[in-house]
Amino acid sequence: MSACQKLIASRKIIVTCGTGGVGKTTVSAALAFKAASLGRRVCVVTIDPAKRLATSLGIGAIGDTPVDVTAHFVHAWAASVTGTVHALMPDTTKSFEAFVRELAPNPGAADRVMRNPIYQIFAREFSGTNEYMALERLYALNREERFDCIILDTPPSRNTLQFLKAPELLARFFDERLIRWLVLPSNKIVSSGMKMALGLLEKLTGAGFMTNLLEFAAALFEVRARFSANLHRVMDLMRSDQVGFVMVAALAPDLADEVNRFAHVLRDQRFRLDGLLLNRSLLALRPGALPEAPIASSSEWQRALEVLEGLRARENGASERLKQTGVQILARIPELARDVHSVEDLAHVARALD
Amino acid sequence: MPSGSGFSECLRRRLIFVGGKGGVGKSVVSEALGRAYAAQGLRTLWISFEEPTMDPGACLELSARLWHLNCDAEAAFEEYVSLKIGVPGLARVFVKNKLMKYLSQAAPGMHDLVSVGKVWFERDNYDRIVVDMPSTGYGLSLFQSTANFAKLFRGGPIHADAVAMLETFGDPSQTAHIVLALPEEMPLQEGLELAAYLKGLFPQNPATYLVNRVFPRVPGLRDSKKASTQGPFADSFAEYIASRQMLETRNLQIWTSQGIEPGSIDAFPPPQDTHQEALVQAVSRHLAQRYLA
Repeated sequence: MSACQKLIASRKIIVTCGTGGVGKTTVSAALAFKAASLGRRVCVVTIDPAKRLATSLGIGAIGDTPVDVTAHFVHAWAASVTGTVHALMPDTTKSFEAFVRELAPNPGAADRVMRNPIYQIFAREFSGTNEYMALERLYALNREERFDCIILDTPPSRNTLQFLKAPELLARFFDERLIRWLVLPSNKIVSSGMKMALGLLEKLTGAGFMTNLLEFAAALFEVRARFSANLHRVMDLMRSDQVGFVMVAALAPDLADEVNRFAHVLRDQRFRLDGLLLNRSLLALRPGALPEAPIASSSEWQRALEVLEGLRARENGASERLKQTGVQILARIPELARDVHSVEDLAHVARALD
Repeated sequence: MPSGSGFSECLRRRLIFVGGKGGVGKSVVSEALGRAYAAQGLRTLWISFEEPTMDPGACLELSARLWHLNCDAEAAFEEYVSLKIGVPGLARVFVKNKLMKYLSQAAPGMHDLVSVGKVWFERDNYDRIVVDMPSTGYGLSLFQSTANFAKLFRGGPIHADAVAMLETFGDPSQTAHIVLALPEEMPLQEGLELAAYLKGLFPQNPATYLVNRVFPRVPGLRDSKKASTQGPFADSFAEYIASRQMLETRNLQIWTSQGIEPGSIDAFPPPQDTHQEALVQAVSRHLAQRYLA
């Protein structure tokens, strides 16, 4: 059994993480194909606003409910398969609103929150909400028992760890003690330091802001208990042995350090790291025949070759350093010589996962 | 490859933001540009955000006329508050206050505002400021938060500063917004999205475009066997190079078909370890020769 097959056999949920530009969405879809070729009922959940997955699957759009793409997959795989493939793209802004409505004790309280200008900015831009809503959606999907393999393609982020820190950040926002300070300013426990801070804040921000802030905090105060119950439920699932994390990466000199940091955070958070999928590898290229004489002796060809050899040497060096991390390499996928724009190409990538 | 001769103009502005998707080479390009300016005799500040290898808020003199500031939100926040209330000790207590820490962490817009505010406050101290923006989503939020705070706070000093900052960043005689991408589909697409978003914030100051790591073009090299029935992988060096240049040319149409004439930077052999000194030097000379002459 190959490393990828073992991964698919042992986990019900596979979370793919990685920085942008490494082909994470393509690799996640290929992993879904691979799992379906092994007979699993797969749903790939993507949070990729570029709609790349929809394009490669040959469908117009992916929405908040699973779309069946099994027929496309079967056609491309050109071998008999028993598995199925669905794709889903959660609408995280819509679901955050639904989530707040669900948590609020009554519709009036929900409306008050939605009207608050601080909430509006928070819902749109707080970096934790999208990530957290993706996890909530995953939790609900898992409960449905409709799929026996779910691949979660996490949003691309500047660093791989951002996604994992999101729930904690959001939880901090709902920190009961701190909200209490805001909501109950007349409380005896308010220190003189806190009074000074609030006074200064008012001076810096002008009138109006503090009123909105206190109202927002009051709204959070009402939903905090139910929020933290939800959060615990979701995090318990993520920490269970049903869930494995995979890092998708391209081989660059700093990858070993990045992998070490990633492994460290996963351990801290008690998540399970199952290994690395190395994408865009140039090591499988063979020198092959040279182009015709005038081209092969041109300075442009020499320069192109120099860049290519430099990239390959760098990958080799990075590969050596990576060994010291002790993290398993699940597969190496060659760099594509064209963009993946069809299910057939996706099937080729899936076959490279062996 | 279009040389994008129009690109030179934006490099004459005082404040230069280099933005784009993660991994497109913003750090190398912004440092290289900073070096090129300093080599021309201009007092230059190169700014990064939360650079892990430097102390938060540190500013190092890299070479003659070139400084590198590691802009840190908390340090900038403290500096800002102490500037506004005039009592540094009190500012420290305020910034370290639990509630303030909570508010600024939970609502990261505050961090964005003070970070980009630091860039703004430095603008008169140098001939050129080159800013290595955080990757797309977060980079935009630096400007978006400024706009949000200008609206959210209806009076007070933060409101006034946010409004003045937006004015500077939206003025094409003072500020350039460079959208950097690789000749790959996703970064180019995201580059267009970034530019559209910037246009919404700064309608009078359209972004300029720069494409990085353009693979050397080999004239006459044909893609010998790639037909669409074969897999998307290359087998040999020649096949890889041929399909790569075709792919890049086609990808660049994502920009050129919109009438964009991007500046471009050639691909250089990459550094073999995490030290990029030689690469930065090469890119710096290349940029100077092509666009600063």
